[in-house]
Parts: sequence; C-alpha cells; structure tokens
Amino acid sequence: MDNGVASLVGLLRISKSYGGVRACHDVDLTVRAGEVHALLGENGAGKSTLMRVLSGDLTDYTGTITVDGEPVRFHGPADAQRAGIAMIHQELDLVPGLSVAENIFLGREPRTPFGTLDRRAMLRETGNLLRRTGIDLDPRRHVGELRTGEQQLVSVAKALSLDAKVLIMDEPTSALSSAEVDRMFAVIGELRRSGAGIVYISHRMDEIGRIADRATVLRNGSVVAEFDARDMTADQAAEAMIGRPMRAMFTTHENVTSGEILLEVKDLVVPRARSGRRDPAGISLTVRRGEIVGLAGLLGAGRTELLETLFGAGGRWQGSVVFKGRSTGRRKPRSAIRAGVVYMPEDRRISGLALGHSVLANTVLSVVDRIARLGVVSRRRETAETTRIVRDLSIKLASVRDPVSALSGGNQQKVVLGRMLLTEPELLLLDEPTRGVDVGAKAEIYQLLGQAAQRGMGVLLASSELAELVGVCDRVVVLRGGRDVAELRTSQAGEAEVLAAAMGEVVAL
Amino acid sequence: MRGLAFLGVAVALGSLVACGTTSENRSGGPASNTQCKGAGGKYVIGMSQANVAEPYRQRMDDDIRTAAKAVPQFDVRFTDAQQDNSRQVSDVENFLTQQIDLLIISPNEAKPLTGVVKKAYDKGIPVIVLDRKVEGDAYTTWIGADNVEIGRQAGKYVAEQLLPDGGKIAEIRGLAGSTPAKERGDGFRESIRGRKIEIAVSQDGDWLREKGQEKADAILKSNPDVSVIYAHNDPMAEGAYLAARAAGRQDALKFIGIDGLPIPSGGLKAVEAGRLSATLIYPTAGKEAVEAAKKILVDCQQVPKTQTLKTQLITKENAAQVYAKENSGN
Amino acid sequence: MTGTDFVRSRRESALATVFRFQSLFGLVAVFIAAIVFSPSRNGELLFLTSDNLFNVVRAVSEIGIIAVGMTFVILIGGIDLSVGAMLGLAAAGSAVLLVENDFGLVPAVLVVLAVGLGFGLLQGVASAVFGIQAFIVTLAGLQCARGLARIWSGGQGIAIPYGDGPGEAPVAFSLLGERTFNGLVPIPALIFVVVAALAILFLRGTAFSRHVYAIGGNEKAARLSGVPVKRVKIAVFGICGLLAALAGIIHAGQLNQGSPNDGLGYELDAIAAVVVGGTSLAGGRGSVVGTVAGALLLGVLNNILALNGVDTNVQLLIKGLVIVVAAGLQQLRPST
Repeated sequence: MDNGVASLVGLLRISKSYGGVRACHDVDLTVRAGEVHALLGENGAGKSTLMRVLSGDLTDYTGTITVDGEPVRFHGPADAQRAGIAMIHQELDLVPGLSVAENIFLGREPRTPFGTLDRRAMLRETGNLLRRTGIDLDPRRHVGELRTGEQQLVSVAKALSLDAKVLIMDEPTSALSSAEVDRMFAVIGELRRSGAGIVYISHRMDEIGRIADRATVLRNGSVVAEFDARDMTADQAAEAMIGRPMRAMFTTHENVTSGEILLEVKDLVVPRARSGRRDPAGISLTVRRGEIVGLAGLLGAGRTELLETLFGAGGRWQGSVVFKGRSTGRRKPRSAIRAGVVYMPEDRRISGLALGHSVLANTVLSVVDRIARLGVVSRRRETAETTRIVRDLSIKLASVRDPVSALSGGNQQKVVLGRMLLTEPELLLLDEPTRGVDVGAKAEIYQLLGQAAQRGMGVLLASSELAELVGVCDRVVVLRGGRDVAELRTSQAGEAEVLAAAMGEVVAL
Repeated sequence: MRGLAFLGVAVALGSLVACGTTSENRSGGPASNTQCKGAGGKYVIGMSQANVAEPYRQRMDDDIRTAAKAVPQFDVRFTDAQQDNSRQVSDVENFLTQQIDLLIISPNEAKPLTGVVKKAYDKGIPVIVLDRKVEGDAYTTWIGADNVEIGRQAGKYVAEQLLPDGGKIAEIRGLAGSTPAKERGDGFRESIRGRKIEIAVSQDGDWLREKGQEKADAILKSNPDVSVIYAHNDPMAEGAYLAARAAGRQDALKFIGIDGLPIPSGGLKAVEAGRLSATLIYPTAGKEAVEAAKKILVDCQQVPKTQTLKTQLITKENAAQVYAKENSGN
Repeated sequence: MTGTDFVRSRRESALATVFRFQSLFGLVAVFIAAIVFSPSRNGELLFLTSDNLFNVVRAVSEIGIIAVGMTFVILIGGIDLSVGAMLGLAAAGSAVLLVENDFGLVPAVLVVLAVGLGFGLLQGVASAVFGIQAFIVTLAGLQCARGLARIWSGGQGIAIPYGDGPGEAPVAFSLLGERTFNGLVPIPALIFVVVAALAILFLRGTAFSRHVYAIGGNEKAARLSGVPVKRVKIAVFGICGLLAALAGIIHAGQLNQGSPNDGLGYELDAIAAVVVGGTSLAGGRGSVVGTVAGALLLGVLNNILALNGVDTNVQLLIKGLVIVVAAGLQQLRPST
C-alpha cells in the first residue's frame, strides 16, 4: 500500500474521549511526502479532534503518532511545530491589531546584532512569503483591515514561513474568491512538489476532486472509508459520511402540504456583505401553515442571515417577504414577535438566555409587558404561565426561580422554545435548535416542533445535521453561496441528495 | 425572600429612630463665655478645614496645631471637607454630636456654612471663623486678612516700584467666582487707577500652579509687550515664572504673587531666590485663633467680633528674615 | 408533579442567604461596630443619639438619591459619570431660576427636573442609538453639564436669600434645609426614603424592571426576545438624570446656594454605594435595597470615624478598604 513513498506522519489507533463521549476511536491515518490527503466527515465526525491531536493541541489521547517512522509524543503545539507539523485553523489565529509582518513573525521576530527588532529583515521576508502565496499586500498593513479571504492567505503565508513538513488546512478556502482559490492551489501544488504532505479538510467536493490524492472519511469518530480522491464521486463520499439513516429518532407529524401559505420569500438579497460571509444573494422559498421546512447548506451558505433577516434582527435587505398575505418591510424583533414571528438564535448562551437569571424571568421575558397591568407584572400570572410551559415542554428543574445556568443544555433550549411559544406565534424560525443537546432532549424538541406544526404554525428550521433535516422536515430548501439551489421533498429524497446539493452537485428530482 | 429584604431596610431605618434618644440641648444661647471653666478645665476644640489640599490651609492647620501645643488644656480635632460644602456641614454636625467646647472653622464658602455655624453658636458653642466669613453675626469672632487691602498694596508696589513710568501688565486670577479672586483684583485696580498702567490681559488660573503656567504661556505669545505679571497667589506666579523661563524671558519680566507662605515651597522662598519680585503675606490666622480660643475658654475674656490681620510686603530684602521668624515657633 | 412544586425555591444554604443580602448584613455589622466604638458623654452613646442618626441619613441623602438612579444604569450594564456635574447644574440652575429669574417654587423645580431628565435622555440616545459606550457618553456629559452650569450661573456660586421680594426665593424652598417632626427628621432624609421606596417597588414588580434586568443579563437575548432595548436604555439614563437633578435641588436648598462646582466627585461616591450594595458592574444583578444599604453603610462608617476623631487621611484609607472588601466578598458569592 505504501508504494515505496515515505510516510511523513503516521497516526496509529488514535482514540480520544471527552468525558465518556468518544470523539475519535482507533483512527489510523498516514500522510505521505508529496500528497494532499483529504479528510471528510459530517460536523462532529471527529475531524477537528484528530487534527488537534496531530498538531499538539490535545495531549491526552491514546495511540501513537510517528514522525518519519519514529514514535513521538507532543506536549503542545510548539512541540509539533518543531517536528515540522503546522496547522491553519478555521478560526484564524491572527492578531488584528498587528501588521501582516508582525503576525507572521509573532514570537520569533528577527533581531539585529544589537538585539533590537530587525524590521527590515522582517518586511523583506514577509514580502517573499506573500509573493509565494500569490497575494499582493503591503506587509505593514494591519491584519484587522484585511478581508477574511486575505487573512486566510496570510495564515497560509505564516504556515509557509514555518517550513512545515506536514501542513494541516481546515477549510482554507471558505472565504476565498475563485481566483484566490486558484492561487492557493498553486501554492499547494508547489508545496507538494517540494515534498511536503498536506492534510486538507473541506466540504467542497469539487475542490477535493481537483487537489486531493487520497481521501479518508470519518463517521462517529472512526474511519469508515478510504478513497482514491481522483475517482471518488460526491455521492460515494456523501453516503460514506452519513452511513445509515436514523429515521427512528423522528416522530413524523401528519404532512400538511395543502395549508395556506404563511410565508413567501422572493429574491431576498442582503446587499451589505459582512466580511467572509455570503449573505443571501437571492433566496426564494415558501412556508405553509402546518409545515416544517428545513434549511440546509454548508457553513456560510447564508442560513443564519436569512433567518435573522426574516426576524428583523439583521441589516438592510431587498426583495419581497410576504407574511400572512401582507408584504413586510424592515422591522425590529419586537414588531416581528407582535406579528407572530419568533426566532431561536444559533447560540443560546450568547444570544438566547440571561444565564444568571431565573427560569421564570427568561421564560416570560417576551410577554412580560403583555401580562402586566398598568406596567405591574402579576406574580401569580407569570408563575402560572411559566409553570404551564415547564409542564408542557417537560422542562426538568427544581424550581422556576433557579437560574437557567443550573439546567442542562437541552432544558435550557426548551426554555428558549417555551419563551417563543408563550407569545402564541404563527411562524417559528429556528437556527440549530439541537446543537449541544443530548439525544433524549433532541427527540423531545422534534416532537414539540411536530406538535407546533400540527397546531397550524409554520416552522423554518436551519440545521447542519442532515439526519435532522431529513427526519423532521417536510421539505428541505438547500442554500449554497447565498442562493436557494434546490428544494427536496423528504418523502422522496434522503440525506445523500441534500448533502450533494449543498456541496455543489445539483440533484434533479 | 423579598419580604426579608424589606424587613431588613425597615429594621435599619427604624433602628435609626428607635435607638435614638434626644440629646439634651444645652442652654446658653449666643455664646456668652458660659463655656469658660478657667485654667483647670479640659477643652475639646473642633477645627473644620475647607480643604487641606491647598498649602495655605494645610499651613493654617499646622499653625493651629503648633500653637495649641502650648496650651495644655486644649485637645484639637481636625476635619477636612475636601472642598465640599456638604461635607463641611456634616463635619460640623459631627463636632456638635461630639459636644465640642469650641469650634474653629475655615469655611469653604460663606452662604452654605452659615446655617450650621449658626446652629453651633445657638447651642452656646463659641465659634471662631477664619479667613472666609459666614453671613450674619452668629459667630463669636472672625479673624482674617483684608484681601482688598492686599490687592491695593500689590497695586501700589507695582505702580511705585516696578513700573513708575507706567506699562502693560498681565493678571492671572484666582478661581472665577471666588471672593478672594474678586477682592484681590478689585483692590489692585483701585491703586493703579490714574497711573499709566494698563492691565493688558486678565485670565483665570484657578489658584493652580499648572494653570498659571499654561495661561502665562499663552499671554507671553499674545501680549509680548507685558512687563509685569500679577498673580492672585504665589503658585500661579511661580507657574508664570516657569513659562517665562521656558521662553527665555524670565529676566525681562517681573512676577508678583500673594500668600507668602513660610514653607519651603512657599512664596517667601521664591522671593528670596529671586523668582518673584515680591509677595504679600496672607496670614493663616492659625496662631491668632488659638490665642482667641485661650482667651474665651481659659482666661474668660471677651474677644473682639472682628480681627483683621495685617499683611506685609515681602521683597528680597526681608524674605529670609520673615521666613526665619515665622518658623521660630516650631 | 403539580405546578406549585416548581415555584418553591430551593432551600438556600445559610451562606447563600448571607451573600444575597450581603449589604444589609454589612450595614447591620457596621451599625453594631459603630455602637461598640461610639464615644460617650455622660453615659450616653453619642452615635445613638437621634440627632446623630438623622444626621447620618441626611448626610447620605443626596448621594443616596443619585445612587438609586445609578443603580438603574448599572443594572443595564452601563455607568453614568455625569451625575455629579448634573447635581451642580441643577443646584446652580435652581438658584438662578429662583433668585435671578424670580420663578415660583414649583415652576423652578419642574424646569430643573426637566433639564435633568432631558439631559439624561440625550445621553441615553447617544449610548443606545448611536452605540457610543456609556462611559464615554457620560464622561462627555460630565464636561457638558459643568460647562452648562457655569454658563447658566455666570461661573458664580449664587446665594439664595429667602423672602417675597424680587431676587428672593420662596421661603418654602428653605424647608429643604429644615427638619420636620419636632425638628427631628431632616427633609432631605425623608425625600431620600420616599425615592428609595418608590424605586424598590418599581424595580420589583414592573415589566420595565424585567426589561432592565434582562438587558443587563444578556442584551442580545433581550433584543431577540422583543425587549425594546433602545427605549429602555434611554429611559434608564433619563431616570438617572432626573434623580441627579432632584439631588441638586436638595443640595441648593440645604446649603442656600447653588454653585456650578457643586457635586464634584459625587459620581464616584454614588458608584461606591451601588457597588457596596452588591450590584454587579457587569449588569443584570443587584437591587435598590442593596444600594440604599450600601449608602447608609458608607454614611455610618463616615460618621463613626468622624465621631472618634480619626484623621481624615486615615478615613479615606479605611473607606477604600471597605469598598474593596465589599467587592471582594461578591466574588466569593457562590456562583449559580
């Protein structure tokens, strides 16, 4: 199998658990000199954990790492760098307030014989590195002023400066234009020719076909398939990543497809693109009463931005949004809630809950002025409302006066859902409602969404979990690059089709 | 739980009332030496200072402390209102609670302190007011200097000694709105009236050295023909000197200030060193206050309602000598 | 499981209760210490004389009223540095209106309160609508209020004489410096107690107060939950400005003078009272009860140190230590 090509790095039976949850289990992986090795898998499949082990970031694993055939044990990223292994993180680790040159040489600045900073050498070296990376940048510019794509390329230049033998790239092209992608691939080609090995993590099948030599697929922490990347198809990869479907988790609600149209979005565009993200660039979709519609798409496809815009929490937009037969202009969350639209944000800790405050205060927050008389809140009434929600949603707690932070993740999420339901909404917008929620609570949340739909509400559910989308939704709208590229009926299409559409191979059904 | 919180506040506030017992009002009315117990008595004196951050007031406290050491019957307590009228009212109220035998007060401002001084006086406590006055006559004696007169003498010195042939001068004033600033300015103008002296520019220096420097800096640029700088106190005059020195013009200009504090950083030393041409002593009245207190409490004598202390012109000739004399008591 | 089961609080440990009402316990502790260390004359504890106790409340009443407003601002995670200057503006403004413009008592008070409210609302708009940090907005506000006060009063402290003639203020205004109930209870103390009581009730049961706490707890979550964040923030700054103006009116009435330099540094004393009262500078946690207790605690401390003739400089040191200890104790609060 080795074909006589030297293996630069080997991972042997690597396992890593987080408090009883296996993230990686007995993973074997080799990186050879002069190859690009693609690593594939769904979110949570164990790719990041594995790469953090390899780059010295995680040190409490079992198994063996070999470098040039010798077993090694890293005690931190610095050890790994000394052994010639460098990683370009998805979340860029650059200091915005420093210049490009200062970032690249952070912590190992060249010195003059007098011990002072050798600025000239730093700028010269940085200029060379940037030229190799193929970007035209003044090394003195502050990183904070750069576009995300440029920052990504600066990270690549920084990695080059380390003269790494093995370079790990985690979604390096997520914010690059196609011209920049071409240049980055040229750099990768150059590295490959010089004998370096590259681990390449990406969701873009077209890129993997262009650049990768081999591909390894992880699922639930284990290697499930290895391919020769050049003759792998997107379907093959998607099937390997998903495995068998887990339909049993989902209680299906009666499919209502003939309900009246609740929400109709046409050509929604959010023009002011925030750095690095593709905001909606023309999205059309409808949601009917009694229907659960899924929103699929890769990171940066525009799901969150779409939901924020519909809720009135985003910026300016163009296009047409018709809710309950009435055209909707720009509005605030407060008026959206009044109109019957509620929103569950992606991260409940950052934007969903006041964690130190009581379950009661969090639950009634949206309706507190409605259950007040002359501005005075009736204690009895708010307690009664909260208690009803706690019972209906079977939120597990000791007292409604306990802080929300005392609850488990699933129950916290139910508090957010309860707050939404208390407003008696007609349209639920949900962004990753089951992230960080255990399996039991997940099933309960699905059930609650099904009940809501049955009562005539419309649900728009954004998720990165394919199984969830296919299992819960009636239809799935797939976004890519800020546009709706496919709409799939879950009665006819499965996870593979959704993934394929999200990754760029439009499936006609 | 909120019941408990309410209860807590209720108890706290209630206890303020319930625990209280009405303190007896001592008879006596306006101070009439009823406090005098002669040489055998022991006396607690409260000294309420407006702001010890000012060197002049620090020196006043020091003078009182020094003078009181010589009177074994006296125990003087000091408070510092940090330039806050409200705080000074509280300070005096606390003295009244402590049932002091005599109050010395250097008021931050006249009107706001009048009420509490009257309250003390009406309780039969002799009150010695220093420097700034209070309104009305509900006090035993006021000791201080006449700022108008000091201003006059400064003007006279400028007109007769520094600019006998006339000229242009600049004025750096004390804090806008404060009485001494007004009086030191008015007196000065009175004596230069009719002479060929023009106040070319007048700026507020807020009594502060750094402000004096800043204002003088601007004046030297805008009015290069000014030959004398009159500052309402010594620190501002010193600041002006620094500005002139930075411009290399310290020898071409004359500086005069007011206060003449006998401390190492004071005006006497500045005149002795030749940085200032002259200063006028603004007496702290500390020593005189203790003398008055002794008369009232120990000697059972009357004191005059008003004691105006004389100022003294300090020039290079007498600076060292006065400095030595003022500090001989220590 | 019945509904009422959820309502009952978990039984709190004794320690947790102490922490929850930390400032009240602190107040009681300092109060007891004051009794123990009180000097006495003729067998009477000077600290406990009713005269003295009311002096304490009177002395903290201005800071206390300001601190109540400051509590609202700090609860939403803000800060208001302009309150001391606002007090000066209100004091000077009261004097000008009463003495120089011959306003009646009620019109003068209303105009000054309106100025305070308006100034606060403006700061709220700058902070909430334009997104400038509260620290910076109110730092600028501090300068502006001082400047306005100096302009309004011509840079002078304005003495307030009483009478019916022109240039004289209505005698009723001087009541602010008087005592009622047999000359026992100072009027400012009474006003302080009323303001505090209203604020306590207001911050407990109203929808507005829930919005205030929610914004301090998690502003983004509050906005996404439909809380009118900007409106609430603006209102909170308005309340703070209004109360600072009220304190300024009392200040002028007590001292019979309004000076543009009044209230120098009061903002820091007010913040100290709020912090000692257990309100978190991070927002979302705290109470007016705590602030009142904090203000009284600092007042009692001031008083007992003064009664014992402790050197002013040492007093500052002790007060600083008390503030640090109070803030430190909050760090020990069991995190929930």
